[in-house]
Amino acid sequence: MEGNIIIQVKNLCKNFGSLHVLNDISAEFKEKQVVSIIGPSGGGKSTFLRCLNLLEMPTSGHVIFNGTDLCSKNVDINKERQKIGMVFQHFNLFNNMNVMKNLTVAPKRINGKSQEEAEEMAITFLKRMGLEDKVSSYPSQLSGGQKQRIAIVRSLMMEPDLMLFDEPTSALDPEMIGEVLDVIKQLALDGMTMLIVTHEMRFAREVSDRILFLDGGRIDEDRSADEFFDDPHSPRLISFLQKVL
Amino acid sequence: MGFFEQIIVIIQRYYPYFLDGVKNTLIIAAMSVVLGVVFGTLMAVMRMCRIKPLRWLATAYIEFIRGTPLMVQLMFIFYGLPMVGIEFPDVSFIPNFSRFMAGIVAMSMNSCAYVAEVIRSGIQAVDEGQMEAARSIGFKYGESMRLVILPQAIKNILPALGNEFVTVIKESSIVSVIGISDLMYGTSGVIALTYRSLPCLAIAACMYFILTFLSSRLIALLEKRMKHGR
Ligand SMILES: Nc1ncnc2c1ncn2[C@@H]1O[C@H](COP(=O)(O)OP(=O)(O)OP(=O)(O)O)[C@@H](O)[C@H]1O
Ligand SMILES: [Mg+2]
Repeated sequence: MEGNIIIQVKNLCKNFGSLHVLNDISAEFKEKQVVSIIGPSGGGKSTFLRCLNLLEMPTSGHVIFNGTDLCSKNVDINKERQKIGMVFQHFNLFNNMNVMKNLTVAPKRINGKSQEEAEEMAITFLKRMGLEDKVSSYPSQLSGGQKQRIAIVRSLMMEPDLMLFDEPTSALDPEMIGEVLDVIKQLALDGMTMLIVTHEMRFAREVSDRILFLDGGRIDEDRSADEFFDDPHSPRLISFLQKVL
Repeated sequence: MGFFEQIIVIIQRYYPYFLDGVKNTLIIAAMSVVLGVVFGTLMAVMRMCRIKPLRWLATAYIEFIRGTPLMVQLMFIFYGLPMVGIEFPDVSFIPNFSRFMAGIVAMSMNSCAYVAEVIRSGIQAVDEGQMEAARSIGFKYGESMRLVILPQAIKNILPALGNEFVTVIKESSIVSVIGISDLMYGTSGVIALTYRSLPCLAIAACMYFILTFLSSRLIALLEKRMKHGR
């Protein structure tokens, strides 16, 4: 699938004090591509993802999103983040707002959508997920799977160009993992550009165009999904796959 | 005369002393908490801000106040302020206004440090993920605070502020040592007149207890209201 480069990472390094978490990472991600990131715990997957929307400030290097270098001083990062959706392991729905408010607060305040417009959009998304009866529920009244699907909708409400997922199913009970993965698969079919950190190997293989193996702060393997599993090169990936498969 | 009869007689004869004391104790506690909240909020903001010297200053203040006895702080203000040229005028309609003010200043400076900690820990108790989610969706720091963090933090902060008010009511008994006519001062007065210390102290204890009990009930009621209104 040929497309424009939507986000380009150049020589990205991130240190926490003396701890080198990301060591000189370079990579490109194209429009409509679905890329999964796999690797051992502590390998820097979350940090990498969080550097892409500058939740973590890179120590050095560049993150170029739609042609804008997010690391340069005069960038309005708040504006850029509106186009980069992020879904967290622990959902992070706004606990003080009900579902409708969670979904509409940003489109209204940031994109200037009218109340009706935003609500209509929210209802459409919720119906598609079969969650329309939850509009006035608070996050504490939802199951994990419901929370995560609402969190995904919250990102979609901003009509992002790119979605980042950091282990979206790791905090879920097994019986709820499927419903969230199905939503992500549907997004892939709809042509959403996505970067997904996950431990769900079968899902990764199924949904991804490409998979990265991130270990020790480096991209150790960067292959198409099938090659990644059937013909891995990196010795570390080979032993990792032996352990998890 | 038995103990309880003594109490009844003392109340009958000297109740204005106690009532006046209660009034002043409440005034001091309320003023101190209000000022404490105003300045405590400022102090909490300083404590959490990005400018290092301000942060350092606030931390030092909070640690120092929390690490020294209120009695010493009170004396320091009472004797110290006039020495550096700050004197509160005597106002005719409030007797002992200058003493009163010294008491309130000391109590609020003290309360301010505790309130600052209450606010800071209330904010920091909100899950970090809330701020991250707000920022990642495109809200500025201030908007994220206002829309997401503070509404959640306030639920942690208000009950603790209520406790602070109760604490201040009790601690304020100390201002009697600089001659402010609070409940404790009134009690000492009655003791001096009657030579009956135990009954007088029992009356004072009951009155303090009624004040703190009523306040904490009232606060619990408010909390309940808040929960229903989310
Ligand atoms: N804010 C931080 N301060 C200090 N060290 C951090 C911070 N965030 C992450 N680290 C460290 O950076 C390393 C990489 O963390 P990261 O969360 O990116 O790993 P990960 O690949 O996402 O792991 P997991 O699969 O467990 O989520 C870890 O050693 C972690 O302890
Ligand atoms: Mg992680």
